[in-house]
Amino acid sequence: MLRSFEHKNAKSVNEAAGVLELGNAALIAGGTDLLGTLKDNILPDYPGTIVNIKTIPGLEYIKEENGTLKIGALTKLADIAASPTVQRKYTALAQAAKAVATPHLRDMGTIGGNIAQLPRCWYFRKSDNRFPCLRKGGTECFAATGENRYHSILGGWKTETSQCTAACPAGTDIPKYLSQIRAGDMDGAAETIMKVNPMPMLTSRVCAHFCQQECNRCQKDEGVQSGATERVVGDYILANADKFYKAPAKETGKTIAIIGAGPAGMSAAFYLRKAGNKVVIYDTKPEAGGMLRYAIPAYRLPKDLVAKFASLLEKMGIEFKLGAKIGDEIKPSDLEKNYDAVLYATGAWKRPVLGFSGEDLAIFGLDFLVEVKNWMDGKVGQEVVVMGGGNVAMDVAVTAKRLGAKKVKLTCLETRDKMPASGEEVARAIEEGIEIDPGWGLSQVVSENGKIVGLEVKRCLSTVDASGRFNPQYDENDKKVLTGENILLATGQGIDLSYLDEKYQIQLNRGRIVTDEDSNETSRPGVFGAGDVVNGPATVIGSVASGHKSANGISRYLGVDYFSYANASNKEYVFFDTEGTKNPIGLKLKELDAAARAVDKEDSMTPELSEGVTEAKRCLNCACYAVNPSDTAPALIALDAKIVTNHRTLAAEELFDVNEPSNTVLGKDEIITEIQIPQPPAGSKSAFTKLALRKSIDFPVVNVAVLVGVEKPRIALNAIAPKPYRSLKAEAVLAGKTIDEATATAAGEAAVADIQPLAATKYKAQIAKTLLKRTLLGTTE
Amino acid sequence: MTITLNLNGKPTDLDVKTNYTLQEALQFKLGLTGAKHMCNKGVCGSCTVIKDGRAVLSCQILAVECDGSTVETVEGIAAQPKWKPLLDAYCKWDAMQCGYCTPGFVVSAKALLDSNPHPTEDECKEALAGNICICGTYPRHAQAILDAALVMND
Ligand SMILES: Cc1cc2nc3c(=O)[nH]c(=O)nc-3n(C[C@H](O)[C@H](O)[C@H](O)COP(=O)(O)OP(=O)(O)OC[C@H]3O[C@@H](n4cnc5c(N)ncnc54)[C@H](O)[C@@H]3O)c2cc1C
Ligand code: SF4
Ligand code: SF4
Ligand code: FES
Ligand code: FES
Repeated sequence: MLRSFEHKNAKSVNEAAGVLELGNAALIAGGTDLLGTLKDNILPDYPGTIVNIKTIPGLEYIKEENGTLKIGALTKLADIAASPTVQRKYTALAQAAKAVATPHLRDMGTIGGNIAQLPRCWYFRKSDNRFPCLRKGGTECFAATGENRYHSILGGWKTETSQCTAACPAGTDIPKYLSQIRAGDMDGAAETIMKVNPMPMLTSRVCAHFCQQECNRCQKDEGVQSGATERVVGDYILANADKFYKAPAKETGKTIAIIGAGPAGMSAAFYLRKAGNKVVIYDTKPEAGGMLRYAIPAYRLPKDLVAKFASLLEKMGIEFKLGAKIGDEIKPSDLEKNYDAVLYATGAWKRPVLGFSGEDLAIFGLDFLVEVKNWMDGKVGQEVVVMGGGNVAMDVAVTAKRLGAKKVKLTCLETRDKMPASGEEVARAIEEGIEIDPGWGLSQVVSENGKIVGLEVKRCLSTVDASGRFNPQYDENDKKVLTGENILLATGQGIDLSYLDEKYQIQLNRGRIVTDEDSNETSRPGVFGAGDVVNGPATVIGSVASGHKSANGISRYLGVDYFSYANASNKEYVFFDTEGTKNPIGLKLKELDAAARAVDKEDSMTPELSEGVTEAKRCLNCACYAVNPSDTAPALIALDAKIVTNHRTLAAEELFDVNEPSNTVLGKDEIITEIQIPQPPAGSKSAFTKLALRKSIDFPVVNVAVLVGVEKPRIALNAIAPKPYRSLKAEAVLAGKTIDEATATAAGEAAVADIQPLAATKYKAQIAKTLLKRTLLGTTE
Repeated sequence: MTITLNLNGKPTDLDVKTNYTLQEALQFKLGLTGAKHMCNKGVCGSCTVIKDGRAVLSCQILAVECDGSTVETVEGIAAQPKWKPLLDAYCKWDAMQCGYCTPGFVVSAKALLDSNPHPTEDECKEALAGNICICGTYPRHAQAILDAALVMND
């Protein structure tokens, strides 16, 4: 039995739209599709109100006016099939209406409901929303690798940005570049990544790979190792650098100063220079790269790669002024005077004050990494204690170990499962023999005769309070001493803004520069911020994204072209490799043996291109692979019908889409009111054919509608793709030709030229081909 | 809410909830079990009734949307002497086995004969295309209807 709801009989389209507008309501026409979805409760939300539009007068008619057939949206399919006018002049539609379901259902179902019906995928239709797939707000498609014999042969369609892409702070269109790798289009893959990230050869080596953790494959076996594939593309970009880091063809004449040569500054510089601006990057350090160059250990990111990347930016015409002291020699106000725009991307390098006894004796972990050379030759000592649970702490601990410390103990406030470091980094630390002893807070540095002997810690009971704010609580009675000669602190970094002199008014908040959400502009017009200085210490890829955002903001401010902060487009058919996705094992980077690892040699090796392709084939290209099931849809497309709603008039082709959960572009309160079909010219013919398992009741396995005998023939097929499929290729084959065995066969071949069937849908291609051929030949009889 | 049907020729008031299908209203409110609760998905035709002259599936219609409609069920058809030949033909041709689907078929057949008193065999098959019989009695139905048509047109 249906769950209860309110029921409203609408008296007008406006009244019905008004109820729909309020939300939590569904429209019922014939009800043959809607009641099924409600009885089985297939959707996550059950409507509170059902609006009946059958009580709206004047929506059920078939009439011809000025050479146009007009059909009211509530007209029953049986009446369309039986109409002599439709049969004679709009034959394909009459045949399509007649092919729907059974006589009983045609006597109930309306044409409006037929084109607006929901997908028939069995996972989608399973009762009680058992498979909360992509079409229902989930992220997965169960059919892609499951039971899919009635699904698409033309690929899938994304309902929204893929899970992995959404998890990437820069929004890298991962499935797109992976499909380009599969197709052998490495330049395309490079461009897809570089739309949002100009330095994949660097990020792929240091990123926490949020994308990998969010990959839908993680629920089955191993996530797609997009870090490894990005590295393959990154190194391809380096090897073919001339193609990707070209000086712009045109100069805008605008000049921009960027303060800080880290990932945020260099990312902004790349996009601004690409658009033709003159860009100068200032940095106090002698070499470009910021954290990439100085803080991230060379065993993770070789320094020559950073230098190479900076040199490529130089080749594009970006000027680096290194060793420059902003605040001393160069005043912020001078920069504003001398440049059209200024961007601060100075990072987070400052040692925070923690306030515990003996703090001065401990070493700031970031300084330790920057000055790693000074700690060689056993200077790090036999026993070292590291405080901190993030990735920087892991870097500090592993570096200390590799510098020769016999014992490195790492402790942090968080419990093991709450440690902020990425799983990969924690695993590396453990592999290297770091002793992780989590759940302790700083008490005091213990020293004897001015010599450090250890760090006293106290039990940390919780790190956040009820409202989620950082507010650690300790058990002062539970203390112990971790012995060590050096105490390394990796408990966060502060932001140094001392270069902004007091007279320079810029809005700050808790020591960070405040910027506009969309443009990264600061409170001073023409002055922007990016990266850690705005967001606090975060990730390299986050800084890259932030720099890109600033580049766009600056471009808008200067009124010059820019490379849009691109988000993945969902508007094309997508494919995956049905064989390659069966591979359960992700690509692992080859690494040096533990014994061979050092502080200045890269641990891991870039995979071969072929390995990258194999990994790219594991991507499921998460999208909906169901088909549009409507019989009348292709007939309406072949006949070039228009769909009239209470808001607009659409070409039939434009009506269809792949949404959650609907098959149309219709808005929440949009109602189809009429179908209009231009009368086909004299001498033309239209026809529809359907193949279903049983002649009666069953949905199409494939159906075909054609309009021929016209200058531009029109061919549409359905049940082979997520949207009704108009075959422009088949139309081109037939244009200007008479239909005979040869042209009909060629059209059939052309219609399936672009297919990429799923595991169980190959047979549909043969059917589509034959059905189209027969339908065409049928029009000559 | 209360709806009024012209049911099997008699004005009938029914108190129904919005979430009742017509089939459920007939069965639970009036004890009419001819329109069967079978697949409840619009697939099998066991729930066929004639509503405003069309053979439709009572499981796929909300009862509240039938207010003011004319509805005929197999009970109403069976009660009319005019349709005795149809029922007799069904018995004569033994067009049933377990009989569960039969009322649906009979209602579809009646709707056909209403609009087409001289159907061909193909027209009979087409009219019954929405009725499913697991026992496989299909060939008998067209024979029964053609036979009934002969008798009725006599
Ligand atoms: C057993 C069975 C077999 C079927 N076989 C086929 C088949 O072979 N081929 C085929 O094409 N279909 C088939 N259908 C699907 C469908 O029921 C019919 O196609 C029918 O035409 C739907 O129309 P309706 O008026 O009953 O829609 P409803 O169920 O009333 O509505 C369907 C959907 O469209 C929306 N809608 C309805 N009218 C409008 C409007 N005017 N404007 C905006 N949105 C609207 C509704 O809100 C709902 O989401 C079958 C259904 C069943 C139950
Ligand atoms: S094919 Fe589409 S409807 Fe079916 S499970 Fe996949 S996402 Fe859901
Ligand atoms: S399978 Fe591919 S598209 Fe899906 S989440 Fe993983 S990487 Fe992204
Ligand atoms: S019960 Fe209504 S069609 Fe099967
Ligand atoms: S007679 Fe048994 S189902 Fe038809």
